[in-house]
Amino acid sequence: MTSTISAPSFADAIAQAARDLPHTDPEAIAGPVLAGIWPGATEAELRMRAIETAAALVAEEPSYSRLAARLLAVHVAQEAATQGVMSFPDAVRAGHDLGLLADDLAKFVAVNEGELAALIDDTADERFEYFGLRTVYDRYLLRHPTTRKVLETPQHFLLRVACGLMGEVGSAGTAGATLPGNLDDVAQLYRILSRLAYLPSSPTLFNAGARRPQLSSCFLLDSPRDELDSVYERYAQIARLSKYAGGIGVSWSRIRSRGSLIRGTNGLSNGIVPWLRTLDASVAAVNQGGRRKGAACVYLETWHADIDEFLQLRDSTGDESRRTHNLHLANWVPDEFMRRVEADTTWSLFDPKDVPELVDLWGPAFDVAYRGAEAAQKATKTVMARELYGRMMRTLAQTGNGWMTFKDAANRTCNQTARPGNTVHLSNLCTEILEVTSDGETAVCNLGSVNLAAHLNADGVDWAGLRDTVRVAVRVLDRTIDLSYYPTGEASGANNRWRPIGLGVMGLADVFFALKLDFDSPEALALSTRIAEEIALSAYDASADLAATLGVHPSYADTRAAQGILHLDHWASAQPVRPDAWAALREKVSRTGLRNSLLIAIAPTATIASIAGCAECIEPPVANVFKRETLSGEFLQVNRYLVEELKTRGLWTAALRERIVRAEGSIAEIAEIPAELRSRFRTAWELPQRALIDLAAARAPYIDQSQSLNLFMASPEIGKLSSMYAYAWRKGLKTTYYLRSRPATAIAKTVAAAPTSLIKLDVENPEVCEACQ
Amino acid sequence: MKMLLDPGLDLTLRPMRYPDFYERYRAAIRNTWTVEEVDLGNDLPDLATLSAGERHLVNRLVAFFATGDTIVANNLVLNLYRHINSPEARLYLSRQLFEEAVHVQFYLTLLDTYLPDDASRAEAFAAVENIPSIARKAQFCFRWIDSVFEMTALSDVEDRRRFLLNLICFAACIEGLFFYGAFAYVYWLRSRGLLDGLATGTNWVFRDESMHMEFAFAVVDIVRAEEPSLFDEQMGKAVTVMLEEAVEAELAFAEDLCGAGLPGMTTADMREYLQYVADQRLARLGLPAHYGSRNPFPFMALQDVQELANFFERRVTAYQVAVGGSVSLDEDF
Repeated sequence: MTSTISAPSFADAIAQAARDLPHTDPEAIAGPVLAGIWPGATEAELRMRAIETAAALVAEEPSYSRLAARLLAVHVAQEAATQGVMSFPDAVRAGHDLGLLADDLAKFVAVNEGELAALIDDTADERFEYFGLRTVYDRYLLRHPTTRKVLETPQHFLLRVACGLMGEVGSAGTAGATLPGNLDDVAQLYRILSRLAYLPSSPTLFNAGARRPQLSSCFLLDSPRDELDSVYERYAQIARLSKYAGGIGVSWSRIRSRGSLIRGTNGLSNGIVPWLRTLDASVAAVNQGGRRKGAACVYLETWHADIDEFLQLRDSTGDESRRTHNLHLANWVPDEFMRRVEADTTWSLFDPKDVPELVDLWGPAFDVAYRGAEAAQKATKTVMARELYGRMMRTLAQTGNGWMTFKDAANRTCNQTARPGNTVHLSNLCTEILEVTSDGETAVCNLGSVNLAAHLNADGVDWAGLRDTVRVAVRVLDRTIDLSYYPTGEASGANNRWRPIGLGVMGLADVFFALKLDFDSPEALALSTRIAEEIALSAYDASADLAATLGVHPSYADTRAAQGILHLDHWASAQPVRPDAWAALREKVSRTGLRNSLLIAIAPTATIASIAGCAECIEPPVANVFKRETLSGEFLQVNRYLVEELKTRGLWTAALRERIVRAEGSIAEIAEIPAELRSRFRTAWELPQRALIDLAAARAPYIDQSQSLNLFMASPEIGKLSSMYAYAWRKGLKTTYYLRSRPATAIAKTVAAAPTSLIKLDVENPEVCEACQ
Repeated sequence: MKMLLDPGLDLTLRPMRYPDFYERYRAAIRNTWTVEEVDLGNDLPDLATLSAGERHLVNRLVAFFATGDTIVANNLVLNLYRHINSPEARLYLSRQLFEEAVHVQFYLTLLDTYLPDDASRAEAFAAVENIPSIARKAQFCFRWIDSVFEMTALSDVEDRRRFLLNLICFAACIEGLFFYGAFAYVYWLRSRGLLDGLATGTNWVFRDESMHMEFAFAVVDIVRAEEPSLFDEQMGKAVTVMLEEAVEAELAFAEDLCGAGLPGMTTADMREYLQYVADQRLARLGLPAHYGSRNPFPFMALQDVQELANFFERRVTAYQVAVGGSVSLDEDF
């Protein structure tokens, strides 16, 4: 369709979108767009260009983000209208007619048409920043299978998710039968979604209400048994799980090492690398939703004799036939290893075939068995513990991979390990999930995160609001277990037995900025810990309520909670602010039991934090101005709290902006900015990493699974790294995630006209997991 | 006192005269990447969705990339390495040569992926002779290579000026303008969600090229400090004229690529952009702006800012290759 473009009406539309945004200049958008017009340009195309132009001005004036978001909202509504979608019931009908949405969802919506249409909050789109709305538009809205046009608006999408989770639905998933649901629950969930106060993880957002609703984020598989059939069975299981967009964690610790005898053929094994190469190719071949490759993280115990080759799997140099560029790597580290690093003594490496028992042991039992194997001279090789530790640190520095996760802390504090034989063998793709696995049990987790930035009021944190959100979230996540489609029997069996959920947070940095707290201040530490405590209290209370009405999870008797031990009890250092509430909770749990074996996990929230427009999970921002790269292009992000502060002081000028860009988003060296602000707005690179570890350790008693804790070091150096990770272990952290570092050289700045003799540090590119949100 | 452009093959690294070059060499090594890390797999479905005009643009771009880095590498070996007389600078140039080789390999892989049959592959390589908009740029490069090719030593002021012009031409006009023009098309495609693999590799090439350009300008800075009379007013004029020629050659390429205009990419916008980039190069050399244009491309402004990627979507480019130090448990961090 080639409609002629009327320049004045185009300019009017831009001015209309800028109506109450006094710091924006509509002409600065309309002018360049009309100057760059091309033959056959349509109104929609010009609007997209205007949106991009406005988005590029965000670093000059953050309200251009609102302007771009408003133009995009118009664009999306018009696109949906071309598909005949004018209302929420239209949207669900269209999706159902095209075979995308489930029958029971369509029926629920048809029966409650009027009530549901009335729920839509027309002003809710105003809460989106541009990047959030753009992410929803590009990635989450249902699209027509052939025209690729959207079939719903952002608010239709959120209400569809609410109906798909809390309506009378379920026959499409594992439940097999429709679960009771009601409009009040739908309204309650839609209300927190549309306020961006809580968001489920991406798989749930993608698939709620779909014909095959795979809603879970993470799958954790025990190591294949040390035999050919088991290895190939795992490949197949992993392929089925990642087809539906789940992130995979898999242990490989049971597989014999290089040089081990294969009795059947009298040959010698090539060790784990060839198997992992096959896994690498298999993971890359499984294309999620048509566009993304699958992603998996392999865990290996530190005593495995192939540990050296394992640590090199992601190197960009060396023999390509021994590299796996698609796999992520994590070390599953026993305390005994860290003790020997501290003592600077030797460490023995074993072929799992010689010590098959080690994989399932932890704590003192592991220590005894490990030393026994050494005494029996079963070791394949002995190295200095520090030499191996140094290589682990080098891998972290060079690839960001080789995450340090601690086997003993993970098992000692896990609610699921009360019975011997139930062992946590690994964490997941993002190191926040810790659940038991076995040959027949593949652990699963459904995730969602509370946006802390949406729980602030004049007095600080809105505690009552936070508790309400958590209670709704726990009910939704618990129901998700029944609604989800599980691609394998091992996954559905385990998830129905243990019913774990992973409720996390995002926007912690927003809270600190809004309340003017330095990230490393004692006040921030106290507040962050209190938030974790409140969330845990409400989540456990909600799970106890669910147990009272729906029953405890089937394996409740196998948990520590059934013996009266809560996660908090493993932490001698914890000092709860609300001891009375904990006492009341204990009493309640002793009566009702729990519906869920695990409740809290802090996932990275990369994508959903983008949607909500807040900082990722518990992380400080990496820069005050940065860009985000996604498949749909590059997006500028600016720290709006900083801009506000600078505007108040009359400091927000073009010259200052340019200096912040040139300083890679840092304000540390800009003398005109008051010291107080320079301290508060330190980036992740500038904050002492000890503070990030201390914050994580202080909240750990309230996190019954774990936290995706990234650590940052611009120019990593082995001495500093080894001290840092030893500190994290001593503080009792169960897991850590990426080591973020920065490239040694960078692209010349196109805005920087003046010569610079220094080598500029560019960005580091945090990789982020979408399955874990 | 010995100077950087004095003829010879100096071998002395201690004491080191130009430690900055050595640091650049080391920084470059920390940024090693390999072509195997770039995933071009998702580009093929994108190619199928392009309009005829867009497909023409991509094919031309591939043809330009096919020979561009080889030309730069040739000049490096034949001219720069010979005349920049400092072993630490030659370390950097050796490293740069390796990087050019990786770029050539990357664009060859790209070409083999994008152009499935042998005939069109051969055609792409013949573009330096057959396709006028590419031949013109190639001629510009060859002319400047030839301008110093016969010189065996920079024995007088005029030799050194000729050499400096060659150096500036490759930094400011070829790596700094022709390549920057090509990068703009790639980032334009990416801003529309297209050809992610090309964009990923280009990101890394872009990072390398930026460093090559900065190294060359650092050489110019040192030569100017050592021999202030070399870079006189006339030389400044010659540089400006050379950049003007380069902008015109690149604009002819733009007219070929954009035709009557593509969504979000027109010759008019490209002209603004190239002029803006040319002004940046002049400013880096301490010369007055010639055009006074502004960057019209929002997607190019973003190249200055820190980047966050999602590992489901792109591979991370930032990690360092060489790391020093040894295990210790009580360091500050």
